[in-house]
Amino acid sequence: MITVTIDGQKTEVEKETTILKAADKLGIKIPTLCYNELIEPYAACRLCIVEVIRGKRSRLVTACNYPLRQPVEVRTNSERVMKLRRMNLELLMARAPAAKIVRELAAEMGIEKTRFTIDNPEETCILCGLCVQVCENLVGTGAISFTDRGPDRKVATPYDVTSDACILCGACAHFCPTGHIQMTDIEERILHSELTLGPNTAISIPFRQAIPNAPRINPDYCIHMKTGGCEICSQVCPKECINYDDKDEFEEIEVSAVIVATGFQDFDPAPMKQFGYGKYANVLSAGEFEQMNNAASPTSGRIVLENGEEPRSIAILHCIGSRDDNYHKYCSRVCCMYALKFAHLVKEKTEAEVYQLYIDMRAFGKGYEEFYQRLLSEGVHVIRGKGAEIIPAPPDESSEGNLLVHCEDTLISKFREIPVDMVILCTALEARKDAPELARKLNISTGADGWYIEAHPKLAPVSTTTDGIYLAGACQGPKDIPDSVAQGAAAAGHVIKILNQGELLMDAAYAVIQEEYCSGCKMCNGLCPYTAISFDEEKKVSVINAALCKACGTCVAACPSGAIVARHFTDEQIYAQIEGILV
Amino acid sequence: MPKLKIEDLQKISDKVRRTTLLREGAGRAKVTVHMGTCGISAGARKILDALLKIIEEKDVKDIILVTSGCAGLCSREPMVTVELKDETPVKYVDLTEDKIRKIFTDHVLEGHIVTDYALAIGSERTR
Amino acid sequence: MKPYRANLMLCAGTGCVSNHSFLVREALEKEIKKRGLENEIQVVITGCDGFCAEGPLLIVQPENIFYCRLTEKDVPLLVEEHFIKGRPVKKLMYTPPDAKAPVPKMNDIGFFKGQMLVALRNRGLIDPENIDEAIARDAYKAIAKVLTSMSPEEVIQEIKDSGLRGRGGGGFPTGIKWESCRNAEGEPKYVICNADEGDPGAFMDRNIIESDPHSVLEGMVIGAYAIGVSEGYVYIRHEYPLARDRLHIAIDQARDYGLLGKNIFDTGFNFDIEIVRGAGAFVCGESTALMASIEGRVGEPRAKYVHTVEHGLWNLPTCLNNVETWANVPGIINRGAEWFASIGTGDISESPWGGSKGTKVFSLTGKVYNTGLVEVPMGITLRDIVFEVGGGIPDGKEFKSVQTGGPSGGFLPADLLDLQVDFEQLTEAGSMMGSGGMVVMDEDNCMVDMARYFLAFTQGESCGKCTPCRDGVKAMLEILIRITEGKGVEEDLDLLEELSHFVIDSSLCALGGSAPNPVLTSLKYFREEYEAHIRDKKCPARACRQLNVYTIDPEICVSKGHGCGVCRRECPDNAITGEKNKTHFINQDACEKCGVCFDVCKFDAIQIT
Repeated sequence: MITVTIDGQKTEVEKETTILKAADKLGIKIPTLCYNELIEPYAACRLCIVEVIRGKRSRLVTACNYPLRQPVEVRTNSERVMKLRRMNLELLMARAPAAKIVRELAAEMGIEKTRFTIDNPEETCILCGLCVQVCENLVGTGAISFTDRGPDRKVATPYDVTSDACILCGACAHFCPTGHIQMTDIEERILHSELTLGPNTAISIPFRQAIPNAPRINPDYCIHMKTGGCEICSQVCPKECINYDDKDEFEEIEVSAVIVATGFQDFDPAPMKQFGYGKYANVLSAGEFEQMNNAASPTSGRIVLENGEEPRSIAILHCIGSRDDNYHKYCSRVCCMYALKFAHLVKEKTEAEVYQLYIDMRAFGKGYEEFYQRLLSEGVHVIRGKGAEIIPAPPDESSEGNLLVHCEDTLISKFREIPVDMVILCTALEARKDAPELARKLNISTGADGWYIEAHPKLAPVSTTTDGIYLAGACQGPKDIPDSVAQGAAAAGHVIKILNQGELLMDAAYAVIQEEYCSGCKMCNGLCPYTAISFDEEKKVSVINAALCKACGTCVAACPSGAIVARHFTDEQIYAQIEGILV
Repeated sequence: MPKLKIEDLQKISDKVRRTTLLREGAGRAKVTVHMGTCGISAGARKILDALLKIIEEKDVKDIILVTSGCAGLCSREPMVTVELKDETPVKYVDLTEDKIRKIFTDHVLEGHIVTDYALAIGSERTR
Repeated sequence: MKPYRANLMLCAGTGCVSNHSFLVREALEKEIKKRGLENEIQVVITGCDGFCAEGPLLIVQPENIFYCRLTEKDVPLLVEEHFIKGRPVKKLMYTPPDAKAPVPKMNDIGFFKGQMLVALRNRGLIDPENIDEAIARDAYKAIAKVLTSMSPEEVIQEIKDSGLRGRGGGGFPTGIKWESCRNAEGEPKYVICNADEGDPGAFMDRNIIESDPHSVLEGMVIGAYAIGVSEGYVYIRHEYPLARDRLHIAIDQARDYGLLGKNIFDTGFNFDIEIVRGAGAFVCGESTALMASIEGRVGEPRAKYVHTVEHGLWNLPTCLNNVETWANVPGIINRGAEWFASIGTGDISESPWGGSKGTKVFSLTGKVYNTGLVEVPMGITLRDIVFEVGGGIPDGKEFKSVQTGGPSGGFLPADLLDLQVDFEQLTEAGSMMGSGGMVVMDEDNCMVDMARYFLAFTQGESCGKCTPCRDGVKAMLEILIRITEGKGVEEDLDLLEELSHFVIDSSLCALGGSAPNPVLTSLKYFREEYEAHIRDKKCPARACRQLNVYTIDPEICVSKGHGCGVCRRECPDNAITGEKNKTHFINQDACEKCGVCFDVCKFDAIQIT
């Protein structure tokens, strides 16, 4: 501890305490513009310059970062200091005449107007650097920085264009002392980046209408989780809700039944280069378009192009990745109808022309055909033929649309070139990438396309080959919402039945190991597809769990000592049946 | 290239010694071949060549060989001036390749003036 | 090895190269071959000789004959006369400004005579791309000496005793810096060579690297040993491609010889050097900005009350010295601290700040005959530099002022010409040693305009981080421009002074801290010029064109020029009227005072009032 005197008042502080903190302790206010407790002092505004006197030597230092190491005298308001402070504020007033905080500080010092040239009367940025520091050192994104130098210095994104590095955290705006950075600016500038599903900030609500509808911290993005620093969120949260110690946990729950309702995933159209998805900004997937239409989207549900303008015409391409030998041969079933819905929305919200490019229009459900007919009467163009290619329109042909869709209209046997501003790709529904992995865990099976296979396509469309495990929704195959709901209800019914019974009815046919014949070779253990066989270490024989056994007979056939018998399919019974047939 | 040891510094230095001495203009001895028109026609070029050859043969490193214009005594060309460090320059006249070889070995290398060929000791040049 | 009878040391510094010295080289080699002299005469490419005003330069050794302003056309004559007939060619030699006869020997030319070469001891004597030649001139001997016979503490003591102070501008005692870095906590430590020379018209560091890169490398190895460092950086600006290439070659050759790298001279000492290229920001010459740049961050000075010797590069102890400082080190080790301390001023036995020892390289530019690079002993008077080494002011003009220390140095008047060049005396007079820029100004230079010029430079190079340097210097520049345009008011002088002190007192780094020096010194020593601009709306030196009134002397225009009309045609504002054989006339209302008429009139008929 050392004793320092600040403006005549003595105080004891820890060594290396800054003058600013020591003065604060004494209630002495030193004006600052570029200082914030959360950030390492930048010492750029020079407003906090004070005089440090040691013996006969006097020195001017910045209070924000000057560490007290010796017992010294500090003057925060000597004539020399005040003169510098006045000049500083006068210069800042010339730089940023519209910055309120500067005007107020200057007024405190009795300065009403500046003697220096004002280049921009609207300017509010005082180049304190807080935003840049926060973005780089606290948030760790480095999306904004100073560009140019000397009097031309300014805060900007690289090349003054919207930066993908910006995570829209708003920290810069929060720290800006003059209100130069506004979040509204950012919202207007960044449009489509928000359209991707999933979070891109460290704190977010996982998806819209999530339950519970509460934000959570993504440890992969959180600066605090990575460095232990930042903690801006806990500083700004008025209710002290932030809990950094909450961690993802694995919980084991014992259940009597399982409903698999893992859904589908969207086909990624990027590999189909001909459609330019990911290359042209106005080629959207159906999911993205659906999100744009959501009232809570960044566009507030308006249908707009990347540049914010309303499209003049839109093409909707069916069967992207489905009914396609190269990708998925099956029909995705739902696209025709949602494509018609899209067309309806576009007609409702904009003046745009809509082109539907389809292979076959499959309006199979109740009221669907009627909807299709209604759309036709709304003036939607339907073209029977799959979209072949999308290219940017040459500048001289862009009067009707910035993109050209090539297709063959098979009804009139002509190639057509349709100019549009926006293209919506009706991407295939496909089985989730991790479906086979879950299938292994649950002991159920998947088909060649990755969809889960039901126990029987007609008689048991909800059940699986494993008792107590049921399927619901699009994990079983492409399905629209009514079908999914119906299957979900069916699965729930099955489960309620089991739970209410309190016991499980099992098939009378199952395999049994005759202990006296079992040699303990364990060959059957690995063969059982239902993991029903285990090894009794004590008796040195294999044992079958009758509840798990599906009587498939694999083990029966494989047992080298003939120790396993399939009940209801014993040798005697089979011989008898053969005999019955033959006689 | 192998890594140097401290003593290698001196070896490299010795190797390039002649070049560096040449540039610093400092050597144990300076031999001036007078190469005015008269000298050249009397065969000064041969003398220069011979000197260069001898220097190479004997691998002498600290001798500076320079050329200059006519020394004024055109009838006795080819002529050279040998100037050992801190000694008076000696002029040799009517030279041949054999003579210069002897002068080089006796005077330049050993320090004995070859009086038989010498014109005069000392220099008329004043500075 | 073939014995050559002559070495032609052809200067290939940046100055001479841009004056086509490589063409001369080609011509020389061709001609020598043609004459069958290729085994007798060798052309050697050297670093800069410093006499850049007279380039391309050629020095013939061993005779020490100095040729200048060579072109490839001169080559056949030169070879015929000098190398065949032995008659040095007078007309290609240097003739001093006032002399009638040329001076044949380099050592007799005033420009070279007044110099003392320590940091540049090998300039023009070695091929900088051949390490063997450097070794023959004792390079790396000092490393052998310190590694085998001196402890790090002894090396530091030797440097302290020598009185060597930082040549980059600050003049901090080098030995003390090394010692603090050695004692600082933290591993690893670093040494850095600052070769980010940014002062306009200054090229000391470039010259040292181009002519003798090994002296810098050797200095760094010695420093690294003394401080206990195994990694070093050379931060060199992008605009120095030749220097960078030579440094690369030197480092490669030194590595090949094991003079850099692991286990140098089998002593177990490891040290290697990496080159980092700057991107052309003046402020990156500032040590903390430079380190930020090496770390890959924006090159901005850092405001911290800790020294870089304790928390420097990557927050670890770092010793940063300038090129010239490092280049001085081997000489001190080889020849001893006493020898070095015997050159220069003051007494360093009491305080290391007590004197300025050794030599300093200056880049002498402006209104002097001999512009170029000079190395002079500390304590030499400004008069000797300007009039002896520099050869005085050309065209019979009157000396007005000399600026030392680069764009942030002060202007010193004729009264102070007898000032000795040392750190303290220059600072006291309101200027500084800086890194060694020296600009001479004559009666045609307006001091207000010069102050404006240099301030415009510092403003352009300010990083813009702190308010005083960014906005204070801008405000000062605006006032100066106002004054040079005749719009100044009396109060401007006080405001300028107030702003100057504000910028000096509150700037974050030395760039802002010294930027107002030209303004303050010109206000102090040449105040009457400011007053003339403000009160009389006149520029005494007639350099501020906005204040000039251009008129045409009808007598001269007709009698000498016969109304030639060049001025009329060149005038961009069509302000001049007149016809052939009659006098011309300038319409003052239309005249924008660009001064083109004055520049184009061959008969001096245009008068400035």
